[in-house]
Amino acid sequence: MPMSRSLVLKLLSGVIVFGAWEVAGRIPVSYAFPTFFESMAALVDMTVSGWIFEAYVETLRPLIIGLLISAFIGIALGLWVGLSNWFDWLVSPIFIVMQAAPLAALIPLLVMVYGIGLTSKVFVVCIMAMPVIVLNTAGAVRNAPTNLKEMGYSFLGTEQDIILKVIIPSASPIIFAGLRLGTSAGFIGAILSELKITPTGIGDIITYSRSIADYPSMYAAIFSIMVLAVLFLNFLERTERYFFAGNVRGYASD
Amino acid sequence: MIDHLRNLALAATLPIAVGLSASAVHADKIRIALAETPSDELAAFFVALDRARANGLDYEWTAFSDEELAIQAVLSGQMDIGFGTPYSAMQRTKAPVRIIFQLSKLKFFPVTTKKYSSLEDLDGEPILLHSRGGGTDAIANVIEDKVGIEFGDRSYVPGSANRVVALVAGQADATIIDLSNKNKVMRQHGDKFNVLPMFEVDASDEALFANLDWIKANADDVQIFVDALLGVWQDMNADPTVIRRETDPDGPIGQLPAEILDSLDTFYAEAVEGGLYDPNGGGRKAAMADLEWYSDAGQLEGDPSTLNIEDFWYMAPLDAAMN
Repeated sequence: MPMSRSLVLKLLSGVIVFGAWEVAGRIPVSYAFPTFFESMAALVDMTVSGWIFEAYVETLRPLIIGLLISAFIGIALGLWVGLSNWFDWLVSPIFIVMQAAPLAALIPLLVMVYGIGLTSKVFVVCIMAMPVIVLNTAGAVRNAPTNLKEMGYSFLGTEQDIILKVIIPSASPIIFAGLRLGTSAGFIGAILSELKITPTGIGDIITYSRSIADYPSMYAAIFSIMVLAVLFLNFLERTERYFFAGNVRGYASD
Repeated sequence: MIDHLRNLALAATLPIAVGLSASAVHADKIRIALAETPSDELAAFFVALDRARANGLDYEWTAFSDEELAIQAVLSGQMDIGFGTPYSAMQRTKAPVRIIFQLSKLKFFPVTTKKYSSLEDLDGEPILLHSRGGGTDAIANVIEDKVGIEFGDRSYVPGSANRVVALVAGQADATIIDLSNKNKVMRQHGDKFNVLPMFEVDASDEALFANLDWIKANADDVQIFVDALLGVWQDMNADPTVIRRETDPDGPIGQLPAEILDSLDTFYAEAVEGGLYDPNGGGRKAAMADLEWYSDAGQLEGDPSTLNIEDFWYMAPLDAAMN
């Protein structure tokens, strides 16, 4: 029963949002704002013609490379930051500044250093995704329950045992929360880089559709990247529930 | 439960309602959407604005980061008059938006390294352009049609100045850039690059457009504005130094660095010589050229001869100003 109710509520929230979109498009709030159904028709056209798949091959490349780098290096750095005060003082400020930096304003600097190719775009994804992963991981590791750690030591656990068997499992919900937030930020970074550096992939569909006033295609492209981001986040949540069953503690909702 | 639903409905409709009421408020000032921040290219436009203000026009301007945003702002009614060439928006969205004045012509030039000396040499060669579907992309399409070649890979770097940087840095061998950047690069690196011979283009690069209902409801203001623009465009064609002389030192152009202000005379002398600004504000000739050009470029659908100028231009203010 609770499952079906949650499904109904989720569907209802979709109906409310898309319904409001349809109504706003029909008023219309702007000549540049298409209805929900027009946008979906454009999405179907792009899917049938294969245009959107070609675009995603372009967009996903910097996104996946950037997210993999951010996840692996970010979690490793976060663990280290959480475990060592010295390293915390040395590294944390960099990520706090990165998180607070107005990235769009820094893009010309990145382009100057790394050019207009893939490297700059991967950097934008990393700058968006990594700070939140590092800082969340570090916070979770630092706040691992002391009583569990002491119990581990009293059972003659080694430092490695404590990290692998106590700290990481207890920190996993927050680490995954950081990964999910980092992934969302990475998606934003990927699109930002395609809009601000050189228009390729989905960024190209958005700018091109806008320049020829094909607004339904523009909103369809934006909608598709949002759907992809949600699906990817869902996948992460499922991964978390699979690997850390019983330790999710309410962070991964479904 | 009902209370919750009511709150939810209120929360959902409030932003829309606020947005609508904000755009429904008619300010006394006319709101102008610029497609770029004030620069040397906009100096003549600001001189016209100053003259219009002296004749009683009250205005405020907002600079958008690109032309498409300025167009969207006018389509949404957040701005009254915008910069750009919104032909595809006019045709596709059926928005009652009309062009009233051609600000500048699409004078762009293919600039290449010494490897190439004619447009035919660019067959199959990569080229650097502004953006897909944009003005330089359109020029590339028309070059392909007229010369009978096909460019190789097209890559996109927005901004003529940025494409010049890429060209000088050796990241590209061929690009299409605007008049002032072409002159600049040829002055500084004339020994390294060629400007390929190009056919004449009369189509608009930037034009002034607004919602037709708004134009009719504010006919007096629009007339003052178009009169001022036409006056400045004619004066400038007779004597380009008028722009520097009439630039308000306290205005947005007057506040630009001294080097830019000092180069205004050269900029406008070269622009007038290159035919960038039509002393007649474009009018029917520009409208015909635009329909043909933007159809060739793929921004307008259908045979240009079947397209109706009245669906894209509103000539009354310009006709009145010419008389």
